[in-house]
Amino acid sequence: MTARPSTIFLAAVTALVAVLLYSPLFVPIVSSFFTVAHGEVVWSSPTVAAYVSLAGNKEILTALRATLIVGACTVLLSVGGGTLLALYYHGRRSGRGALQFIIFLPFLMPPIISGLALLIFFREVGLERSLLTVVIGHTVFVLAIVYRTVLTRLQSLSRSLVEASYDLGATGWQTFWRVLMPNLSSAMAGGAILAFALSFDETMITILVTGTQSTLPVRLWAMMRLGFSPDINALVALILIFTVLLCVLAARVLIPKQVATAAH
Amino acid sequence: MSGRDSLLLLRRSGLPGRRQGPSMNEKSDLLTLRSVSKSYGAVPVLHDVNLAIRDGEFLTVLGPSGSGKTTVLRLIGGLEPMTSGEIRLDGQDISRMPINRRPFNTVFQDYALFPHLTVAGNVGYGLSVRHVPRKEIARRVAEALELVQLGSFAKRYPTQLSGGQRQRVALARALICRPRLILLDEPLAALDLELRRQMQEFLKSIQREIKTTFLFVTHDQEEAIGMSDRICVMQAGRIRQLGTPHELYYKPNCEFVARFFGENNLVPGTLGQVQGELRSIDTALGRLICSVAGQPHLKNAPEGACAFAMFRPEALHVSEVHDGKNHFSGKIVDVAFAGSSTVAIIAVGEDRSAPRLRMRLPSRFSGSALSASETVALSFAPREAHLVLS
Ligand SMILES: Nc1ncnc2c1ncn2[C@@H]1O[C@H](COP(=O)(O)OP(=O)(O)OP(=O)(O)O)[C@@H](O)[C@H]1O
Ligand SMILES: [Mg+2]
Repeated sequence: MTARPSTIFLAAVTALVAVLLYSPLFVPIVSSFFTVAHGEVVWSSPTVAAYVSLAGNKEILTALRATLIVGACTVLLSVGGGTLLALYYHGRRSGRGALQFIIFLPFLMPPIISGLALLIFFREVGLERSLLTVVIGHTVFVLAIVYRTVLTRLQSLSRSLVEASYDLGATGWQTFWRVLMPNLSSAMAGGAILAFALSFDETMITILVTGTQSTLPVRLWAMMRLGFSPDINALVALILIFTVLLCVLAARVLIPKQVATAAH
Repeated sequence: MSGRDSLLLLRRSGLPGRRQGPSMNEKSDLLTLRSVSKSYGAVPVLHDVNLAIRDGEFLTVLGPSGSGKTTVLRLIGGLEPMTSGEIRLDGQDISRMPINRRPFNTVFQDYALFPHLTVAGNVGYGLSVRHVPRKEIARRVAEALELVQLGSFAKRYPTQLSGGQRQRVALARALICRPRLILLDEPLAALDLELRRQMQEFLKSIQREIKTTFLFVTHDQEEAIGMSDRICVMQAGRIRQLGTPHELYYKPNCEFVARFFGENNLVPGTLGQVQGELRSIDTALGRLICSVAGQPHLKNAPEGACAFAMFRPEALHVSEVHDGKNHFSGKIVDVAFAGSSTVAIIAVGEDRSAPRLRMRLPSRFSGSALSASETVALSFAPREAHLVLS
């Protein structure tokens, strides 16, 4: 098979753009395997020392723990809350327009504004800044994503499915667990992964509402102010790989159910 | 389609059997709607609907789009609240009974099969939510699937079925709970013609066998005539007429039903005198004699009242013999071959506004004896003609 010149040209341009735009992302990964001396990467000495020192860095491990706790709590709260709100909205009850607007507001506002608003709010109600306030901040922020993902699925389900369930004698509870949940679960899982990914690298709101504990991105931010170190490269590399994995997972989970079942 | 074996199986095990009341011969009313009205917001869609559904019958609700057929079904099924009126089951008011307690099951127009469940899971759903033991569910699911001839499809998912198969799964799912009444909302609308015919026969044979009452919605009058014990014709949220297909076809009670139900010739005129079971009407075709047998309201209507003489295309025939009744001549405008029959369009009189009549004759291999622009003598028998008040 011989490719036509135009095809080759198109492929070349695409490759060039891809390299130019995305190669910077891989620089930290590559350079994390080399030592840094006087702020410059020494290409002649490959090493995994950065990763070893990262694993021994207590502050980073603490930050990682905090991030995971916050992420897990945020996922639980936002998936539960987002699903309930989507069900409420779909049920055509009153106030749905205003509700939707409010849900989307924190997601669309600049994070610094959301963060400041939350900060002022926590101070007013006298809530001590801690991981709890971070969880609240993240939940408010990512709720819109889960809500939207679940609502989209809900709206694509035929209304007659629920009616058929009732018609066949099921109670509201049975209908929820046996008909709605199985059809929403992949949307909820997808929403959960996106929520976790967002929570994982949320920085602005976290800096504003956290107490003494910091999450991984906040830790990274603090480290960077002290100077560019191999640790940072290693950390960035790890976060990058992790995020890519999450995105791949989310894409898989969010593939429409039909395609999945057709493969049985 | 032959579902004989499975039908026998079903009968033996007594799957959805009609609950046998004290009177087996006399058909009693299963469900009655009394002055049921429904509005969506300020828009009324059903006006004072009264309907009695007999136990074990195949009743079809027929009407043009938007006439309120689906709404009637949804009110009976409990999917929609009534605005006023009441629904009685065996004489008991069930107006406020929630959907999941009503002993009715619906076959939805889009089938509404649960995509995450297999065929067996779908069919068994109604039993499993009622906590029927697993073994019994498996047995009854197998029976129901046999009945709809999908025994080997139990493990498939709805997306892996054809339209006709989904249709049958939906039917099996509705039957398995042994409902008193099965509600079907245009279940055949999405199928192509051939499959539709098969499914019509299939539905009818199942209904005959399990003797469950079917309330069937369609806007296809041919389908309604072929399948129903009785038909209820709706128009703009009202029931216009309820009767057997034969009654509706030959004795429509209004112009709407007369025109809606198959091809028809309606000739406007004014009522004349009554002579026994016959009555005359003066029309552009002259004085016509029509039957009023069994229709006292037409017998008693005042002379001079506006009405239509109505006769079916197949009642009209070419006849040179002049016996003085319902005899006139017309000019053939068009002759159309339509397979088993041939339709001739006939203009009576010269003028443009003259009535045009349809005549339907059995087709012959040798071709039609009629040809366009020929003038012929026509007549129809008085007992084949009826009157419709306008
Ligand atoms: N949820 C609703 N809200 C407002 N109006 C409605 C609603 N459902 C139905 N209607 C109106 O009620 C009338 C009757 O509707 P219905 O669905 O019963 O008609 P139908 O006889 O089943 O028609 P079709 O043959 O097209 O299915 C229509 O004019 C329709 O616009
Ligand atoms: Mg309808």
